[in-house]
Amino acid sequence: MTVVLTARELTRHYEVSRGLFKGHALVRALNGVSFELEAGKTLAVVGESGCGKSTLARALTLIEEPSSGSLKIAGQEVAGANKAERKQLRKDVQMVFQSPYASLNPRQKIGDQLGEPLLINTNLSKAERREKVQAMMQQVGLRPEHYQRYPHMFSGGQRQRIALARAMMLQPKVLVADEPTSALDVSIQAQVLNLFMDLQKEFNTAYVFISHNLAVVRHVADQVLVMYLGRPAEMGPKEDIYSKPLHPYTQALLSATPTIHPDPLKPKIKIAGELPNPLNPPPGCAFHKRCPYATERCAVEEPAFRQVGTRQVACHYAEQFL
Amino acid sequence: MSLLQIKNLNVRFGDANAVPVVDGLDLSVNEGEVLAIVGESGSGKSVTMMALMGLIDAPGRITADALTFDGTNMLKLSGRQRRKVVGKDMAMVFQDPMTALNPSYTVGFQIEEVLRQHLGLRGKAARQRALELLKKVEIPGAESRLDAYPHQLSGGMSQRVAIAMAIAGEPKLLIADEPTTALDVTIQAQIMELLLNLQKEQNMALILITHDLAVVAETAKRVCVMYAGQAVEVGQVPELFDVPAHPYSEALLAAIPEHSQGAERLATLPGIVPGRYDRPEGCLLSPRCPYAQDNCRRQRPTLDPQAHSQVRCFYPLNQEVA
Repeated sequence: MTVVLTARELTRHYEVSRGLFKGHALVRALNGVSFELEAGKTLAVVGESGCGKSTLARALTLIEEPSSGSLKIAGQEVAGANKAERKQLRKDVQMVFQSPYASLNPRQKIGDQLGEPLLINTNLSKAERREKVQAMMQQVGLRPEHYQRYPHMFSGGQRQRIALARAMMLQPKVLVADEPTSALDVSIQAQVLNLFMDLQKEFNTAYVFISHNLAVVRHVADQVLVMYLGRPAEMGPKEDIYSKPLHPYTQALLSATPTIHPDPLKPKIKIAGELPNPLNPPPGCAFHKRCPYATERCAVEEPAFRQVGTRQVACHYAEQFL
Repeated sequence: MSLLQIKNLNVRFGDANAVPVVDGLDLSVNEGEVLAIVGESGSGKSVTMMALMGLIDAPGRITADALTFDGTNMLKLSGRQRRKVVGKDMAMVFQDPMTALNPSYTVGFQIEEVLRQHLGLRGKAARQRALELLKKVEIPGAESRLDAYPHQLSGGMSQRVAIAMAIAGEPKLLIADEPTTALDVTIQAQIMELLLNLQKEQNMALILITHDLAVVAETAKRVCVMYAGQAVEVGQVPELFDVPAHPYSEALLAAIPEHSQGAERLATLPGIVPGRYDRPEGCLLSPRCPYAQDNCRRQRPTLDPQAHSQVRCFYPLNQEVA
């Protein structure tokens, strides 16, 4: 299989002002994330708010430059790419956003919005563009008469179909989807997830699927990356992570997720407290203040993100959960 | 005798012939009971509770054969009388904790306001009680939080404060409208546990409005499934999840990613919830229902007792009695 997306130690730090007379503080929003993604596969990124999922999405879609680390898309190194190469890279990575209400232009017809990527990036004639747009509309389950309509005439599920069609117009190599179904109802979510899977099969696109919903992730993902406070906590094949999570945070996350058939005999792992302040993260392991297994070592020494069996885990004691 | 009795509740916006948003709803809640109301957006679950609390203004109109809470006819109350009940005996926790609190006042002031209005507590006594309430909802460092403004709190903390305000009057009925939808999974688990503990401790009735079936499965004893303003199935947990009788309940359950382990595609209901202009003549689900017969398209079914639950369907599923 061909690797279409390679991230090496991707890092993004922000300087935030703390007021007039204090120096700047540094928020380490993204800290050393590495992965490889093959064509036609899905990497799911899971974590709670503030864990750096969206910062990762912004770095992958070239919206923001990473502070350090390297990113390679379809064999092309992003850092040091010239203008023409960057334009090509932008064609290869597309994005679907969380809110289908905010991500479509309310004053532009659907047909024009879908045709715009082609207008900007290709030399197709008007008639050819229209033909391509209509073919794509059919593929995502929109009717031909929708071409002339405006976004407000569509429901949330249909709008997300439009957003997905727009992202797929240029047949990108990588699609980054940031919580694409969290604004939708369950039955509509199922329709949209099916569409995601169908299009992936059709175009062999690699997906980076960002979500906080572990049930959705279990359905779509091949690889799962769990993040906590800007750092990777655990990454590996979906089945391994769901059947035997090694990082205590992954364990807590899976245990906290409600299920339809709760097992009364299986006690829930409770984690107390909330995410620490990212301006002032705890020393050592970022999770140690909430971790039920934390020892003195965890408070001092930051665990390395290391290989354990089939996956990578950032925990000193990962082996004992194996 | 039940604490809350709703009979044939109709809510319309506009003239008397407008399409009802809540359509002939019957519901009763006993003291100390946990009832969940599930449904997708637009199914009328929130509007029902707003009607109950008298929060619907013109052009909304409410009609009901009975709307009785704790022996009081809620329809007959004047505004002044209603304000004595709402916020004290019947309280509500809203979805978005960030907007439910007033940003201009401290947390302590807002909790004390409830105590002043409903219990007549003043000065030190009110402050003492507010502190106790904050401790009861497990806010760390409660003393210092009394003087915090809502923007200084995280989402989970704000929701805890909102719960503290709701339970300040020791209500007999607590209505929680999507209390954890805006929160992360681990925080969601903490808040749900807190709500259930308070419910048991104070023997309150709890109505949990949610779209998340998994949350229902883990918390409620009884569940009411709503579709397009009607209750389509009312039954016990976990029976309703194991043997759903209404095709809509079945479809909702099937659409959850958790249920499709290994399957490529999620089961979906075609189409969307009917709007005000395409409301079918017969059963409201008939255009989307895979089991629909001719008479489903002509007649409206009523909510009738069946083997495991009350069902609004001519051809209920899973009727074999085990």
